[in-house]
Amino acid sequence: MNLIEKIISYSDKKSISSAKKEELTLFLAEGFPTTKNEEWKYTSLKKIINEEYSIEAIGKSLSDMEISKHSLGISDKLVFLDGVLVSKPSIKNITISDYSEFKGSSLDPLSRLNYSLAKSGYTISIDDNSIIENPIEILFLNTVEGNFKQYRNILNVGKNSEVKFIEKIQNANCNTSFVNCFTQINCEKNAALEYNKIQNNTSKSRLIDRVDICQKEDSICNINTLIFGGDFVRNNLNFEQNGTNAESNMNGISVLNNSQLADNHTFVDHKSAHCRSNEMYKGIYLDKSKGVFNGKIMVRKDSQKIDAFQSNNNLLLSNDSTIDSKPQLEIYADDVKCSHGCTIGQLDEDALFYMRSRGIKELEAKAFLTYAFSSEVIENISLPELQKFAKHLLAKKLNVSLDFEL
Amino acid sequence: MLKIKNLKAGIEEIQILKGINLEVNAGEIHAIMGPNGSGKSTLSSVIAGKEDYEVKEGSIDFEGEDLLDLSPEERAHKGVFLSFQYPVEIPGISVSNFIKTSVNETRKAKGLGAITAGELLKIMREKMELLNIKKGYLSRSMNDGFSGGEKKRNEIFQLAMLNPKLAILDETDSGLDIDALRIVANGVNQLKNNNNATIIITHYQRLLDYIAPDFVHVLYDGRIVKSGGKELAHELEEKGYDWITKEVDKK
Repeated sequence: MNLIEKIISYSDKKSISSAKKEELTLFLAEGFPTTKNEEWKYTSLKKIINEEYSIEAIGKSLSDMEISKHSLGISDKLVFLDGVLVSKPSIKNITISDYSEFKGSSLDPLSRLNYSLAKSGYTISIDDNSIIENPIEILFLNTVEGNFKQYRNILNVGKNSEVKFIEKIQNANCNTSFVNCFTQINCEKNAALEYNKIQNNTSKSRLIDRVDICQKEDSICNINTLIFGGDFVRNNLNFEQNGTNAESNMNGISVLNNSQLADNHTFVDHKSAHCRSNEMYKGIYLDKSKGVFNGKIMVRKDSQKIDAFQSNNNLLLSNDSTIDSKPQLEIYADDVKCSHGCTIGQLDEDALFYMRSRGIKELEAKAFLTYAFSSEVIENISLPELQKFAKHLLAKKLNVSLDFEL
Repeated sequence: MLKIKNLKAGIEEIQILKGINLEVNAGEIHAIMGPNGSGKSTLSSVIAGKEDYEVKEGSIDFEGEDLLDLSPEERAHKGVFLSFQYPVEIPGISVSNFIKTSVNETRKAKGLGAITAGELLKIMREKMELLNIKKGYLSRSMNDGFSGGEKKRNEIFQLAMLNPKLAILDETDSGLDIDALRIVANGVNQLKNNNNATIIITHYQRLLDYIAPDFVHVLYDGRIVKSGGKELAHELEEKGYDWITKEVDKK
């Protein structure tokens, strides 16, 4: 059975509300998006939806030691095991609970599927005027080989509050999985959020991840996306600025090899005046890997004094790797500053010779220059433990034992 | 230490070096001078192993081994160092990170363990003092936004950190003002001992006022056409290259 057939037989056994049923019917009528859909032009789901999956299966429990292998060593963490919230931290001024229902807006086929059938995920609320000192780690662990899993999360960051998260969706003791995740984030007035996504899953993992962020005035939201592992990753990051002086920052790095694919779709909707957005995505492609970047920026008619910056820089380190990059700017206001740039290149030969003449072997020199290329993104990560982890992953991926530290 | 025999090299069809013979022993300082386009920088690039150049004939023996069989990094590990005429800018890599990697990779090739960060910093501070380099410099990106003089000083800083057997200084004096020249020359002199050797490639005699060469060679049209002691440099400064090139062209 292919995935659609599996979903039909799974949903037949569930009793779901009429509102959800309606969305499910819409999804089933349309099916998974194909490359004829403009939003999926360069990324085909065909192969992965024709594989055999089990739906929302629950496997064995994991020992604390096995869980900690997937952690960055952060003390405050939420752990989901096959969708079940098995541990959560207790932190002052934060309410954390399991999945709760919400609909969200402008649903696309995958978010319809998510809305109608997902029943795992987190609900987190940060009270007003709360500075959360320590970062919070969120682990979504899957233990079932070939599992199709959906998460649906909601995060509210209260007025004048500050918080940082590290999120990881990971297979534990298995290789194949398909995750469809949807997260709604609301940042209230003058809130500051940093949300880090580590996408370093196993070689046959597939992930479609959508995050909708709604920002009120004076809020700052930074989303860092680190893609190192996985067979297929599609990120949809949608910002909506609903208040003046809001700032949205996106940093992304993809380091891919073999036949990995990573697709970053971003959308910033500047609905209010005097707002900023900053977007920097860097991609490093080896072997037959493939990257896609689509950055849409919309400046609405009355959104004057907008400062929007977007860059997408790519390093193709093999003959068979590819990148499709597309900026998409729609500007309806006249007093704005918007810029975008895209580069595709190779490593600088002169710099390589320079490093080799200093005793640095070719492989290491290439790795070092690749690190230099990505360092701007890595330096933008505010958590030192995560910065270190990113450097470590980069070295591992490039097959060298350098630490890029000092 | 270094024996170059009948070295012929060029880029594609263009022959630049047309039979170089040169012998450098431990403890010696050699200066190679010559007009523009005579092949000075090609010679230094070929010794360091730049792959753009094709060696057609000859050999470069370094302590009993033919350098031409080795990769640039292996040459560095054997103790060959080239101070670049145009050091490359590498944004995103700090000076300290670069030097740490360079020192440790060289140690690894020699079967030694990595140096600790504390130990390395201590040595770096010593060498910085020697070259009058200011604090804050270590965390700057490699040569990125450096002035010409800063770049050259950074080359000599690396020379001091790597302590090679053979140092080739390619036009190290260009872009240096008189104070920087004195500091760099002083650094080179202090690093000099009986076990290492230096080749100074220069257009002018200026640097040779501070670093006294044992031998001076004139390179012209891909060949060493005249060799002598340091008085030859003074003669060149006074009379220019014309009298030599005319002599050669006549033949």
